[in-house]
Amino acid sequence: MRESTGGKVFSVFVHVVLIIISLTCILPFLHLVALSFSEGHAVDLGQVYFWPVGLDFTAYAYFFENTPALRAFTNSVVITLCGTALSMLTTVLTAYPLSRRYMYARKPITTAALFTMLFSGGMIPTYLVMNSLHLTNTYWSLWFVGLVSTYNMLIMKSFFENIPGEVTDSAQIDGCGEMQLLGRIILPLSLPMLATLTLFYGVGYWNMFMNVILYINRTELQNLTVIVQSMLQIQSMDNMMAMDVAQQQELISEKMKAVGVMVMVVPMLVVYPFLQKYFVKGIMLGSIKG
Amino acid sequence: MTTTPATAGTDRVLKPRQAFYHTKRFRQNIPLFLMLIPGILYYVIFRYFPMGGLVIAFKDYNFRDGILSSPWVGLKYFEILFQSKITLQVIWNTLELSVLNLIFGFPAPIIIAIALNEVRKNWLKRWIQTIIYLPHFLSWVIVAGIVLTLFSIDGGTINKLLAQWGIEAVPFLYRADSWVAIFIGSGMWKEMGFGAIIYLAALSSIDPSLYESAGLDGAGKLRQIWHITLPGLRPTIILLLILGMGRLMEVGFDQVYNLQNPTVLGQAEVISTYVYKVGLQQAQFSLTTAMGLFESFVGLILVLSANALARKFDQGLF
Repeated sequence: MRESTGGKVFSVFVHVVLIIISLTCILPFLHLVALSFSEGHAVDLGQVYFWPVGLDFTAYAYFFENTPALRAFTNSVVITLCGTALSMLTTVLTAYPLSRRYMYARKPITTAALFTMLFSGGMIPTYLVMNSLHLTNTYWSLWFVGLVSTYNMLIMKSFFENIPGEVTDSAQIDGCGEMQLLGRIILPLSLPMLATLTLFYGVGYWNMFMNVILYINRTELQNLTVIVQSMLQIQSMDNMMAMDVAQQQELISEKMKAVGVMVMVVPMLVVYPFLQKYFVKGIMLGSIKG
Repeated sequence: MTTTPATAGTDRVLKPRQAFYHTKRFRQNIPLFLMLIPGILYYVIFRYFPMGGLVIAFKDYNFRDGILSSPWVGLKYFEILFQSKITLQVIWNTLELSVLNLIFGFPAPIIIAIALNEVRKNWLKRWIQTIIYLPHFLSWVIVAGIVLTLFSIDGGTINKLLAQWGIEAVPFLYRADSWVAIFIGSGMWKEMGFGAIIYLAALSSIDPSLYESAGLDGAGKLRQIWHITLPGLRPTIILLLILGMGRLMEVGFDQVYNLQNPTVLGQAEVISTYVYKVGLQQAQFSLTTAMGLFESFVGLILVLSANALARKFDQGLF
């Protein structure tokens, strides 16, 4: 069937719009990559666009040697790895029982969890609870405050529910306990969804900002996001008071900012392509409704 | 399947109460409840205790007396909230930014999904998807950094280009109207690609033969989108609209906090940032808790009424 002229015009229009949008998403990165690898004076003169002028790795070396950034980087890694593991474990252990039809009180418990999506205590009461448990200025506050994302838990729950009953029934007839059923049958069947939710949690912990400035006051415990934020927003340099003026000057140069952003973004760019293909499969098999 | 038929025969001889503790279903539930312990502890301590903590909105909270023993003051802080110019401005700003966010941000993913659906070459579609999902995974700190490099008055890319054409630098980030536009635009840029995923999934379930027969009947592309695609997306749109209504009283902390600057605070201070700055940093716990309670409560009312409305059309979420 030949397409009409109107159809062709429409198709061209759609492609042009999508490609322009894609460019707006990719060009800022190319610019930052170019800035971070270029020679300092070329950056200051504004000669760098999407390709490095000269080649200079010293900013990366400087970033990790002379600044609190290395410590912040390791902090971010610790927060992300432990946090993701704890969150995934708790989310699986919450979603699985709630997905079993023979579980007592499954409806009221699910509703109680769902209610927290609609109504919450908010920032101050949550802070006061954290404070009274003496968890502020420890990473436990960061791990506990968002331990289970109700949204992720509900996605996981309905994914588990959609696993055909014949599979689980026959295993249970063979004498499979709940723990075995979960570990040997349910989880291996849920890998795309688990990969997707691991990525969501991991990104959440890696990018964590608000909770860190709420609960962590001590500079040596802060993560990369907070350090990079104070580099980017020149007016709030209170985190960097400990450094001398020359160090501060170096850190807030355009090039160093680009390096800071790159260090934040690269680990994510490395993981993302491997997990991206699971998104649609993982999220959609368990629809939100239900 | 609420009862397990397999146990029906063996339990017949036992009294009802004993039967309950001896059923297979009861035995199956023991490990399930053990698994649930961490989750229940989490929800009780970190989600429901803070809700109880909301009582300090009706008290004069101080650290010495704690939540329970601080004196009651009734609605004092709500009166301050609705009489003080500053707090009213903050509430108004929140509403303004989030309504604009909904008006511009909500349709964007739908348009993207419909456009992506028209791309016939699979490799191109995959590439575009990979690229436009990416901003969703960036921290607001990074997006704000990108916004600064683009729009700042000295050294911002756009002002550099303007300077090359002999146009004077524009203080984009320091004028209220352009700041709001940048705020909304950056939110759209970050989320519209990723938001399209859920609509793409809904689109893939539309029967392709509908398009074929519409095409044979002479319906053009736009008519097909209007009469087939949009009705197919309707349940998803309504679902997300209900959830969006619940967030109408809140603006994401990370987004505003990282984009705002002292010059535009008159437009840019919202409930979440005000609670942080005045509540935590200046220890005005009761006033800002009252503000947070108001935010949560209006959000709850909005989502419930949106749902009730949708239920009239059999589209309710719960």
